[in-house]
Amino acid sequence: MSNQTNESSSGKSSLLGWFDERYPVSSTWNKHVGEYYAPKNFNFWYFFGSLALIVLVNQIVTGIWLTMSYQPSNAEAFNSVEYIMRDVEWGWLLRYLHSTGASAFFIVIYLHMMRALLYGSYKKPRELVWVIGMLLFLVLMGEAFMGYLLPWGQMSFWGAQVIISLFGAIPVIGPDLALWIRGDFVISEVTLNRFFAIHVIAFPLLLVILVFMHLVALHHVGSNNPDGVEIKKLKDDKGIPLDGIRFHPYYSVKDAMGAVFFFILFALVLFYAPEGGGYFIEAPNFEPANPLKTPDHIVPVWYFTPFYAILRAVPDKFLGVVAMGAAVVILFALPWLDRCKVKSIRYRGNSYKVLLTILVISFFVLGFLGTQPSTPLYTKLAQIFTALYFMFFLVLPFTSANEKTKPVPERVT
Amino acid sequence: MKKVLWIASLLLLPLTMNVQAAGGYSIELESANNNIRDQESLKRGAVLFSNYCMACHSLKYMRYNRVARDLGWTDEEVIADMSHGLNSVTEYVMARMEDGVARAVLGSDAPDLSLMARLKGDDYIYTFLRAYHLDDKGEWDNKVLKGTAMPNVLEGIERHASPEEYATVARDITNFLAYAGEPSKVERLDLGWKVIAFLLVLLLLLYLLKREYWRDIKH
Repeated sequence: MSNQTNESSSGKSSLLGWFDERYPVSSTWNKHVGEYYAPKNFNFWYFFGSLALIVLVNQIVTGIWLTMSYQPSNAEAFNSVEYIMRDVEWGWLLRYLHSTGASAFFIVIYLHMMRALLYGSYKKPRELVWVIGMLLFLVLMGEAFMGYLLPWGQMSFWGAQVIISLFGAIPVIGPDLALWIRGDFVISEVTLNRFFAIHVIAFPLLLVILVFMHLVALHHVGSNNPDGVEIKKLKDDKGIPLDGIRFHPYYSVKDAMGAVFFFILFALVLFYAPEGGGYFIEAPNFEPANPLKTPDHIVPVWYFTPFYAILRAVPDKFLGVVAMGAAVVILFALPWLDRCKVKSIRYRGNSYKVLLTILVISFFVLGFLGTQPSTPLYTKLAQIFTALYFMFFLVLPFTSANEKTKPVPERVT
Repeated sequence: MKKVLWIASLLLLPLTMNVQAAGGYSIELESANNNIRDQESLKRGAVLFSNYCMACHSLKYMRYNRVARDLGWTDEEVIADMSHGLNSVTEYVMARMEDGVARAVLGSDAPDLSLMARLKGDDYIYTFLRAYHLDDKGEWDNKVLKGTAMPNVLEGIERHASPEEYATVARDITNFLAYAGEPSKVERLDLGWKVIAFLLVLLLLLYLLKREYWRDIKH
């Protein structure tokens, strides 16, 4: 591969050479794929980056086709989704690919973030990879929230009503801010139209730009690995990292294999449980939005429930909003909160292992509690696990500063 | 590999839990045991729906010709059996009463039933159809939805049929509404395993390809 590209970039007669003189085809390919050296010891956790990209492409492609038949209006939004499900050729498949894809996106992203927590991928020199990734996560949450309004079912309507009304709890500017977001005094066709605009163009554009920046930042500093050692430290006489292998073909074939494994799980849900047991498509959403009839139990989609549980755990509405926001925003600070020099959990001390376990358990418990109606017991539990969730970030700076770590090997294992 | 399986099972975890089933109904829902592949049951359900439900209820997202195609009727048959020759095959299955009549007569609009099975579940419909009873005042009420405005339209059938026959009637109607909730469901179920079979073959090939390439890498 490299011989071929070297020849063609110097040989003026070839087609690629013609392009290379005018556009950096070979050099871009080599920098990001052909001669991007990744550590050879990537494990299972390293599939989720490429999977996230694949799911993004799925969302964009199916989204384009859905947009061809969907109508963002009060009268027709719900009807047009059913029209897609029944009258559009393969419309049901496109719709389920998109709705299942939304949940898959969050599963993949949460696991992708978990990988960073396990192996310290956010640490120096990868702080910006993490920060850009967190921006991606924020935009993704916004994208999913806006998209959920579009089917214009009961849960679409009331979920949006609840979440937007939260902005109203902010002192002074709150009510005007909520009004500004909705464009109306209640969720209405105005809201639906602007959410549609943001969902189909503004945020997808941002996502694509941020993904590009995420990859540029990553390829500039190089990938971390399960041992958390920098492969760039030890290079051979040609300047190639001793523990590095070309992304293509080694990781392109490995990621392709991982992608197909993922497709199988995805297809199982897509074809045999597209409602995801009522979590991916909530049953009340099969009833058109009705501003006069509140559902008994308003629940956000599963991927927001950990944060929703934090919101409800705090008795004061405004402080609840602050806590929910802080639960996401505090992740941005992780590279600076974690002061341990050792990256990988393989060589870190017990304090980090304990803290991370508590964080993961809290996240799952909060996620469950967010799906349930609040009862005194559940509220108490939500408060305990909210405290434990934040404890991770508040205790980490102290424990990580003098953690009892194990010696880190020179080379990857 | 253990980790892979662990994560894989985690991904499928939501499917093992079912929030839909958790309804606060006053009686335990009975299992409908309907089968959307049973075309005879669907046809009987469609005719029963036409004769007993369509006075008030519509299936406004279903066209007659779609019903015909999926249930194995010709266009002529569906119009004869479901519409008494009154509609064209490309029309949607609409209620026979004018809008507002149900509200004037019964005090409530009759909801469109296209998505009722997806909203409430098959068991809800089946149990609802079997839950009419005479209350203390000698008036019809329903154990699933107390105070419902819907009269006991199947009373005539129930009175002259054995419990088993009536269960079949309720099941056929439920089945037809389950079909109407997602007409492409059978197609979805039949396509799924083919896609997965293809992906399994592809996975094997990619695994072999990956192993071949990775022979170069010294660990």
